[in-house]
Amino acid sequence: MSFLWVAAEGICALSANKLRNFLMMLGMIVGVALLAVIMAVGKGTQQKVIKRVDTWPIRVIKVNAGGGKGYTRPQAGVATLKLEDADAIRDRIRGWDLMLCVAEKRGLPMKFGSRQCQADVFAVEPTYCEMQSWPVQEGEEIGTEDIRTMARVCVVGTTLAKTLFGEDNPIGEYIYIGKVRFRVKGILKSRGIGPGGTDSDNRALIPLTTGMRRLFNQGYISYVRVRMKSVAAVPNAVKTIRQLLRKRHHISPPETDDFSIVTAKQIAEVARGISRTLTAVLVALAGLSLLVGGVVMMNILLISVAERTKEIGLRRALGATQHAILVQFLTEALSVTLIGMTLGAALGWSVSVALRRYTPVITETAWEPFALVIPFALLFGVAFGVHPARRAARLHPVEAMR
Amino acid sequence: MIELEAVEKAYGSGSTEALVLKGISFRVEAGEYVAIMGASGTGKTTLLNILGCLDKPTGGHYRLEDTDVVSLDDDALSHLRNRKIGFVFQMFHLLERTKALKNVMLPLIYAEEYPDDAEERAKKALTSVGLADRIQYKPGELSGGQQQRVAIARALITDPAIVLADEPTGNLDRRSGLEVLAIFRRLQQEGRTIIVVTHDQAVAEHAGRILLLSDGAIAHDRPVAEPRDAEAELASLPKEDRR
Ligand SMILES: Nc1ncnc2c1ncn2[C@@H]1O[C@H](COP(=O)(O)OP(=O)(O)OP(=O)(O)O)[C@@H](O)[C@H]1O
Ligand SMILES: [Mg+2]
Repeated sequence: MSFLWVAAEGICALSANKLRNFLMMLGMIVGVALLAVIMAVGKGTQQKVIKRVDTWPIRVIKVNAGGGKGYTRPQAGVATLKLEDADAIRDRIRGWDLMLCVAEKRGLPMKFGSRQCQADVFAVEPTYCEMQSWPVQEGEEIGTEDIRTMARVCVVGTTLAKTLFGEDNPIGEYIYIGKVRFRVKGILKSRGIGPGGTDSDNRALIPLTTGMRRLFNQGYISYVRVRMKSVAAVPNAVKTIRQLLRKRHHISPPETDDFSIVTAKQIAEVARGISRTLTAVLVALAGLSLLVGGVVMMNILLISVAERTKEIGLRRALGATQHAILVQFLTEALSVTLIGMTLGAALGWSVSVALRRYTPVITETAWEPFALVIPFALLFGVAFGVHPARRAARLHPVEAMR
Repeated sequence: MIELEAVEKAYGSGSTEALVLKGISFRVEAGEYVAIMGASGTGKTTLLNILGCLDKPTGGHYRLEDTDVVSLDDDALSHLRNRKIGFVFQMFHLLERTKALKNVMLPLIYAEEYPDDAEERAKKALTSVGLADRIQYKPGELSGGQQQRVAIARALITDPAIVLADEPTGNLDRRSGLEVLAIFRRLQQEGRTIIVVTHDQAVAEHAGRILLLSDGAIAHDRPVAEPRDAEAELASLPKEDRR
């Protein structure tokens, strides 16, 4: 028996009934396309995470007001974190080289002349620009003197500057934040869209003291950033800060923290955890659709065997061994899975590209689905093709030809 | 060539067992042209299936060219069918969506080695049954007689020693039937063994010997003194009837 010619018979059978073969392939197409998209999204997300993790300065510890797990922002209106806490940290932690306290309020009304808008206001210490590696492009930063005198001065982001001043130079002008008048003394460099999807340039920086006493009228801050001299010092510092704050806030087990500590390592873990769960769910979905596709294919093949009983009998009568019939139908199943899965991978590729182009979903098209097609097609083709193929092979020639 | 000894065939088992062939013995020498006759349901097809190694007897012995067929396994039987036997079925049994040429080539796929000249051979076989101009036609585009001749060409493609035909003219008009019988005569002259099942006395008389089957046993086994000549009968048909 010539294996190749028998296999060719199986492939020839494919072109005979196009609708049926399309139906057989559908499950494979959908399943693999889904897998390909998942991989692309997974890869895209991973790269985004890596970027995020990369931009997080590894020596920095952020202490947010308000509890919660994982990478949380400071919770608005939570009054647990005080300047005294920051002072305590300053005194107790060894090995830090930069500290920054920030009180933030999002979406405050801004006004210049008749122009109005909303922007995020950050009441900061002079260390802000260095800590955030975010210098001014024009004018001056918030200085020590501003803090001491509770000066009503501000540094604006480029978006805010543009909204209020258009093309005019804002430096030296006076704007209203809420009901308080501030003199613009600097413009921050542009940073674009932040990781949360908000415009980081739509902001104003004001002195911490001015912010707390004159604008926000509050005794608490939003977060403290501590930059250690070395990465190695971070874990111990985190431990000390946690113990210190729990003691200061009179928190004892089983009560949970009323603050949260964020480090580079933690961000990486959380991000990885999220993408892992997401991937697991989606992979399960894709697997399910592949499984359903496999079962559909098996049933259509069984119908096909039943319909072609006479043909199978004839082939047997003309000298086809059981093995030859088995090979023919397995080839048919394998072709269906192989073609279906290749189409699926191509479809997944196209969808990934379309997602990247027309939606905010970040995808990174992967070559892996194409490489996986062959082992997957083999696996599914054999797993779901062997039963119909054996049924075909076991037909008795005389009975089958009746 | 062919030797049957007390061959039995029973269908079913236990209380529903039905003995269809009840001890059949005969020999067919190489190059013989034999017709098997009998009423409907007497076991002609059953016997032919056994002769063609499509089915095994439930009793007795069957020797084909010194091979004990009863002892062979399924694979060996398949190979034997492919190499030694050419089948012509009553209902043609052609692949509908497949062109005549491919239909004829089908047995070669299952040959031990696929010949390089497969297509040439198929064309030659089709030419020999007078269908040289119908090579690319599908069965649905052919007449019954033409379909039967495609089926004969398919039976001949492996150059079998034995050609078995079950009611090869049953579905054909007189002219097509005679054309088929003329081909059989030529095959016999080439030295092949021909066994034809028919219920038509006139068809049977083209053979050199007639076996009459009755109730699963051989009732008569007699030679035909003067076999009919299909070629001559074709020539004597009215002219306008000719294609
Ligand atoms: N697979 C089977 N199972 C049970 N009985 C069968 C089977 N095949 C054939 N028979 C029985 O065996 C007997 C002979 O059948 P067979 O087909 O050989 O007859 P036949 O001589 O070819 O008849 P016909 O001239 O009508 O074709 C019939 O009575 C039939 O019912
Ligand atoms: Mg019959």
